Amino acid sequence: MAKYAMAVDLDRCQGCRGCMEACKIENNTPQAVFWMYVFRTETGEYPDTKMSFLPRPCQHCNNPPCVKVCPVGARFRREDGIVLTDPERCIGCRYCEVACPYGVNYYNWRKPDAAFGAYDMDYSDPDVAAVTGGVIPSYKNPDLDLLQGDEQRLTAGGAHSVGVMEKCTFCVHRVDKGLNPACVDVCPVHALHFGDIEDPESPVSVYLRERSSFKLLDELGTDPSVIYVGGAPPGSETREIERPLTEVRS
Amino acid sequence: MNTRTIVTTLMVLVGLGLMVVSYVFLATPTCNTSIACSNPVMPFSAGIFVVGILIAFTSAIFYTVYKGSE
Amino acid sequence: MTTEAMPQREHTQDAALPQGIGRLTPGWIVFFAAMAAVTAIGMYAYFLQVTNGLIVTGMRGLGTMLGATWGLYVAYYVYFIGVSFAGITVAALIRIFRITKLEPVARIGELLTVVSLILGALAIMADLEKPWRAVVNLIQYGRPQSPFFGTFTMVIAGYLFASLIYLYVTSRRDAAILAEQPSRFQKLYRILAAGYEDTPSQRIIDRRATFWLALAIIPLLVIAHSTVGFVFGLQVGRPGWFGALQAPGFVVLAGVSGIGNLIMLAAIVRWATNTRDRITVDAFAWLAKLLLGLLITYLYFTVVEVLTVTYQAGEVERTLSDALLTGTYAWIFWGAIVSLISAAVLLIWQAVTRKWSIGLIFAAGALVNVGAVAKRYLIVVPSQTHAQLLPYPTGSYTPNWIEWAVVLGLFALGALMIGVFMKVFPIVPLEEAE
Repeated sequence: MAKYAMAVDLDRCQGCRGCMEACKIENNTPQAVFWMYVFRTETGEYPDTKMSFLPRPCQHCNNPPCVKVCPVGARFRREDGIVLTDPERCIGCRYCEVACPYGVNYYNWRKPDAAFGAYDMDYSDPDVAAVTGGVIPSYKNPDLDLLQGDEQRLTAGGAHSVGVMEKCTFCVHRVDKGLNPACVDVCPVHALHFGDIEDPESPVSVYLRERSSFKLLDELGTDPSVIYVGGAPPGSETREIERPLTEVRS
Repeated sequence: MNTRTIVTTLMVLVGLGLMVVSYVFLATPTCNTSIACSNPVMPFSAGIFVVGILIAFTSAIFYTVYKGSE
Repeated sequence: MTTEAMPQREHTQDAALPQGIGRLTPGWIVFFAAMAAVTAIGMYAYFLQVTNGLIVTGMRGLGTMLGATWGLYVAYYVYFIGVSFAGITVAALIRIFRITKLEPVARIGELLTVVSLILGALAIMADLEKPWRAVVNLIQYGRPQSPFFGTFTMVIAGYLFASLIYLYVTSRRDAAILAEQPSRFQKLYRILAAGYEDTPSQRIIDRRATFWLALAIIPLLVIAHSTVGFVFGLQVGRPGWFGALQAPGFVVLAGVSGIGNLIMLAAIVRWATNTRDRITVDAFAWLAKLLLGLLITYLYFTVVEVLTVTYQAGEVERTLSDALLTGTYAWIFWGAIVSLISAAVLLIWQAVTRKWSIGLIFAAGALVNVGAVAKRYLIVVPSQTHAQLLPYPTGSYTPNWIEWAVVLGLFALGALMIGVFMKVFPIVPLEEAE
C-alpha cells in the first residue's frame, strides 16, 4: 500500500500563490475557500524585516484529530494516508474544524452556486459577455463527483453543498489516476513534491533524503504527511501580510 | 422473587446487555484512525445503544406501575 | 400548545384544584402571550437560518476566515445542559440523604432538568445546518470516540429520558389524588395515575424505585456533564481548551448554574402559586448552602486555571490569557468574576449572620447565572478567535440578532413549558393527606 506525502520546499517557494489558483480551478471551491493556502509572512522590525512564504494544504495527519472527533465517521483516513470527508455523511457539527490546529477545514456557510467562481457577477451583462465570450462559469470538474478508493465514498470533492465540511483532498481524484495533485503540477519553481513516501525512489522520498525537514506543529503529535524542507517553522514573531479575499459575503 | 422483581431485573439486564453488545459493534473505540473504524460494525448500533438505555430506565415505570401481589 | 387547548371556562369546576391549576389569571395570560411572542420571534429567526443557511449568523470559519465556527449556540447549549444539574442533584439529596426540607422543591428541580435538557438539545440542533440528517446519521453511524457521542446518547437520550421517568414516578401519587375529584384534567390525571393506590406497600415500592433511580442517575449526571467538558478538554489543537480540569470544571459550573436557576424558579413558583407555607426559607437556605459550596469550588478552579495560563505558559496561551484578562474579552471575564464573587459574598454574609432572606438568595442565584453564561461563552469563543497556532491574524466574532433571537426564543420556550406545566399539574408536591 502506498503512503502518500508531500514535500514543500520553503527555500524555493516564492509566494506566487499559483497553487491556490490551481486548487480553486481543479476543485471548483466556493468563494473565500482555500483548500491550499499560502501564507505571506514577515518577521523582524523595519528596516530589518524578512519576508517568507508558507504553503498550507491539509496536513493529512497520520494521527488526525479531526478523524477522532467526528461523531459519525464522515471524516476518514484512507490506508494510503489521505484524509477525506464524506459530504453525504457529514452532519455539519464543525467539530473537525475546531479540533484541527492548522485551520484547513472550510465549512460551506452558504449555498455556493451563486458565486462558484471568485466573484458575484452578472455574466449575461453584455459588457461582461464581451470579455468572457458568453461562457458562463461555474464549470464543474466531473471527476469530483466520483466515488473514490476501495471504500467507494464521496470525498468532499465536488458536492460543495451548504452545511457540510470540506477540505483539501490531496486531489484524490487525480492521485487515484496516477497524477499529482493540481498544486504540485502547477508550481513554477518545483517547490511542491508529491509521492509515495514508502517507496525510496518516489520523487518525495528522493527529495527528502538529503535535506533536513520539519513538520508543522509536530509537538501536538498529529504526525502530518506534509513535510517542509528548508526555511523555518513560523514562530511567535511571524506576522501575516497580504491576505486575499477571505470574507464570505451573505 | 415475584413477577415485579423478575421483570424489572430482566429489563435492566436486557438494557445493559444491549448497551454492552451495541457498544462493541459501534465504530470500534479500540482503534483511532484506521478506515475500518469510520463505519460501525453493525449499522444503527448507536441507536441500539440508546434503546438499551431507554429499556433499562423504563424498568422503573414497570416496577412502580405493575400491580401484583407482594 | 395554544390557548385554545385551555379555554377560559367557569371557575366553579376547578375551584378544588390546588395551586391555581386550570385557572387562567390575567397575569398568567400576559406571561403566556409575552413568552409566545418571543418564541415566535426566535422561530422566525430560525426559519431565516434554515432557508438561507448558517451564513445569516455571525459565525464564520476558523483559519483564513478569522471567525469563530462555534458561537452563541454552542455556548448556550453548554449552559442549558449545565442547568439540568439541579433537578437530579436535589432529588438525590432527598432520596439518598433524606433531606426532607427540600421535598417541596423537588418537582421544580426535576422539571427544570427536563426543560433545560430539551433546550440544550434544541440549541445544538440550531447549530446544525441539517438537524434531521444529524439525527439519522448519529443513530446509524455514531462513534463513541467522539466526545459528541456522549452528548447525543448519554445526555440527550439517557439523561433526559431518565429524568422524565424520575419526574413521572415521583408525580404519580399526586395524579391519583387529583383524579379523585372532577376537573377538566381528570382524564389526564387518571391516565397519569395508572391505577395508583396509596397503600403502604405502594409507598415502599415508590421509595425503592426512586432511590435506585437516583443512584443510577448520579453517575449518568457526572458522565453527562463531563462529556460536555471533554468536547473541549481533549483538544490539543486549540490553546485554552486542553486540560484535565475542564471536565470537573464543567460539572461544578453546571451545579452552580443549575442550583442558581432552581433557586430563582422556586422563588417565582412560591410567589405565583402562593405556597409560602410549603416552600420554607429553610429549603432556600439549604439550596443556598449547596450553591455556596459549589461556587467556592468553582472560584478555586478559576484561580487554578488563571494561574496555570499566566505563570509560564507558551506564547499562544499567553496571547489567549491576555485577551481574556486585559484584552477583547476582559469585560466579559471580569464581569463574570465580579458577579460570581458578589454572589459568594451575599451567600457567605447570610451564612455568617444565619439570617436567610429569599430576596438575597434569589439575587445570588441570578448573579451566578450571569457569571455562568459569561464563562460558557469564554470557554467556547476566545480559543477560536485568539488562539490560532499558525500565523493567522487574530479573529473576531460578534453574535448577530439571528443568534440572539434563537437563544432568547429558547429561553421563552422553556418558560412556556414550565408555565403550562404549572397550570396542568401541581408543581409543588401535594401535602400528605392524613
